[in-house]
Amino acid sequence: MGISSTCFIPLLFLSLIAGCAARPLYPLPSKLDIHKQPLQTSRPYNLAHRGSNGEFPEETAAAYMRAIEEGADFIETDILASKDGVLICHHDVFLDDTTNIADHKEFADRKRTCMVQGVNTTGFFVVDFTLEELKTLRAKQRYSFRDQQYNGKFPIITFEEYISIALDAQRVVGIYPEMKNPVFINQHVKWADGKKFEDKFVDTLKKYGYKGAYMSKEWLKQPIFIQSFAPTSLVYISNKTDSPKIFLIDDVDILTEDTNQSYSEITSDAYLNYIKEYCVGIGPWKDTVVPVANNYSQTPTDLVARAHALDLQVHPYTYRNEHQFLHFNFLQDPYREYDYWINKIGVDGLFTDFPGSLHNYQELTSPVSKDNRASKLLHKIAVLISSNGKV
Amino acid sequence: MGISSTCFIPLLFLSLIAGCAARPLYPLPSKLDIHKQPLQTSRPYNLAHRGSNGEFPEETAAAYMRAIEEGADFIETDILASKDGVLICHHDVFLDDTTNIADHKEFADRKRTCMVQGVNTTGFFVVDFTLEELKTLRAKQRYSFRDQQYNGKFPIITFEEYISIALDAQRVVGIYPEMKNPVFINQHVKWADGKKFEDKFVDTLKKYGYKGAYMSKEWLKQPIFIQSFAPTSLVYISNKTDSPKIFLIDDVDILTEDTNQSYSEITSDPYLNYIKEYCVGIGPWKDTVVPVANNYSQMPTDLVARAHALDLQVHPYTYRNEHEFLHFNFLQDPYGEYDYWINKIGVDGLFTDFPGSLHNYQELTSPVSKDHRASKLLHKIAVLISSNGKV
Repeated sequence: MGISSTCFIPLLFLSLIAGCAARPLYPLPSKLDIHKQPLQTSRPYNLAHRGSNGEFPEETAAAYMRAIEEGADFIETDILASKDGVLICHHDVFLDDTTNIADHKEFADRKRTCMVQGVNTTGFFVVDFTLEELKTLRAKQRYSFRDQQYNGKFPIITFEEYISIALDAQRVVGIYPEMKNPVFINQHVKWADGKKFEDKFVDTLKKYGYKGAYMSKEWLKQPIFIQSFAPTSLVYISNKTDSPKIFLIDDVDILTEDTNQSYSEITSDAYLNYIKEYCVGIGPWKDTVVPVANNYSQTPTDLVARAHALDLQVHPYTYRNEHQFLHFNFLQDPYREYDYWINKIGVDGLFTDFPGSLHNYQELTSPVSKDNRASKLLHKIAVLISSNGKV
Repeated sequence: MGISSTCFIPLLFLSLIAGCAARPLYPLPSKLDIHKQPLQTSRPYNLAHRGSNGEFPEETAAAYMRAIEEGADFIETDILASKDGVLICHHDVFLDDTTNIADHKEFADRKRTCMVQGVNTTGFFVVDFTLEELKTLRAKQRYSFRDQQYNGKFPIITFEEYISIALDAQRVVGIYPEMKNPVFINQHVKWADGKKFEDKFVDTLKKYGYKGAYMSKEWLKQPIFIQSFAPTSLVYISNKTDSPKIFLIDDVDILTEDTNQSYSEITSDPYLNYIKEYCVGIGPWKDTVVPVANNYSQMPTDLVARAHALDLQVHPYTYRNEHEFLHFNFLQDPYGEYDYWINKIGVDGLFTDFPGSLHNYQELTSPVSKDHRASKLLHKIAVLISSNGKV
């Protein structure tokens, strides 16, 4: 079939679209089998905090892919913006602790001091670098006591690259992106079309087909939680997307970035009643849910009870294997910490740097197996038999 | 009944015996129920290395009692001797790292320099203190990153006190005492009856009824492994007690204290063939069984294979939860390390500072439950049913 002149312009137009579209117009051969193992919904969510960053530098493709390998239900990320308005995955607004920016002498003059959530911070800020410049940097492991062998190997990734990692997985994997430091970003980054950070965030999700209320059919195909410490950002996007939202809560002495509200105010019954119109849950810092003294867990507060009474999920952060992060009552054993939070406190999800360990714990104690119903039936038989006498 | 003069001397004699005997002549009321839960023998042994010293200061009564609470199969200890020849539980020949000796100004002049296994060591040595003096000291936690709250609370205990802890447990708990630094002890401590350290060690075991070859009826009632780095000590006691013995093996560059033999010599096939006449197993340092490079486990050596070919058990030391001790391939997860050593390397016992974590791991992955046989039967039924169609 020849290309006649009447087809030319439509074809040109079509190829432009194909070039701009997020995904190929045809399914890749490897993706033809559309039956993916679904998201598990029978036990608390395994939320890979910044990917599997106990092993790989945080928020890199490698960290996310390993988290998926290890069985995470959701991969979590923090969204910031570059100087030219591209949404990227990075936790800190500055680059010093997680990249090799210090080795890039060509950028030495970009170091400056910025006010970040009321604190004067000196360093190299993501908002002063274009995406192209950021892509020349390489990630490094934040904690000195973790494996340093991947330092200098992986770049910062974009929001879209992160989404692709989730969508390309062999099973259904959810995303859990945060609108991070929105006040700071909107102060420093302007978009030509007049839109702001939160708009761009939602636009990206829509581009990749994320929609649907919690547990809806569309949501189960592409699970997502949107998170933020800034309540006004969550409220702002509430009529732009019906994807479920989680309100993050920082330590007891930190005020919200956008509304300067205190911990006691935003965890009050009145406030939780308000926020639950917009959110399906909260993400508190775990040491405020169960206070700590002398590195021992104390009596839990009533935050989880009150949240659950309002049908709000609770996803505390962050669970880490290293003893520096484990209170003495857990006897240096991360599995005991999981056991306590899952069985005693009853949380609905856990942000962890070690999704492999959490997955291991959950598989050992509450497996999601095909034999689950058979096991239950056999257990009933066993009970019948043993109550009737010797086996 | 009056005490006639003919009964007086026998009664006096009897009361002397009662005063000297190890245990009361009559069973305590709490010990009348003699049916104790037996030692588990269906999976590798959980050996509480110096007691549960991840939590309590090592080798204290509290550490041993917690280890028993947590499910350890054996409690392990190191036997040294005081100046007046009392056998005590203590790992180091010096007191500096594990007691508050530094606070006891009355002993300040006892500090001296001694040759310990070829190394000039300065400190306060146990062999320079009588038991009474040692009993005024209090133990402290060796590692700064472990709980310090018990420092100053617990004394050093004697070999006999340690044995009583094991015998008084509600279930059968084995002991695993080491003849520690026997060359050093025999150099510095002399017993009036001309006996030496190894004799006193065996005398104590006999006093408490420890006897019987591995897996014999008597052994199962009072399980025990005797351990030492000094092969001549093990050989010396071999005709004095039939209790099973374990030959400990130190790092690749350390020579044996008594015979100055090298690692490669004592792990050679001819030597293992020799030592197996006296021992039922070996206790190697785990980083020699599976060498380490860049904090990653490398290819395992053939030591376990060769030992098992000679029917020698392998009990490596020491498994600890903290990331400082976990190689990066275990992803900061102590359960990953247990899994590797139990399922990939196939060891027969594990010395751990965290018997609670090991017990937890073993209970989750290979439970020793009353329902064990019933579970197996039901599993067979399940397989039958599922192979015949839907449940």
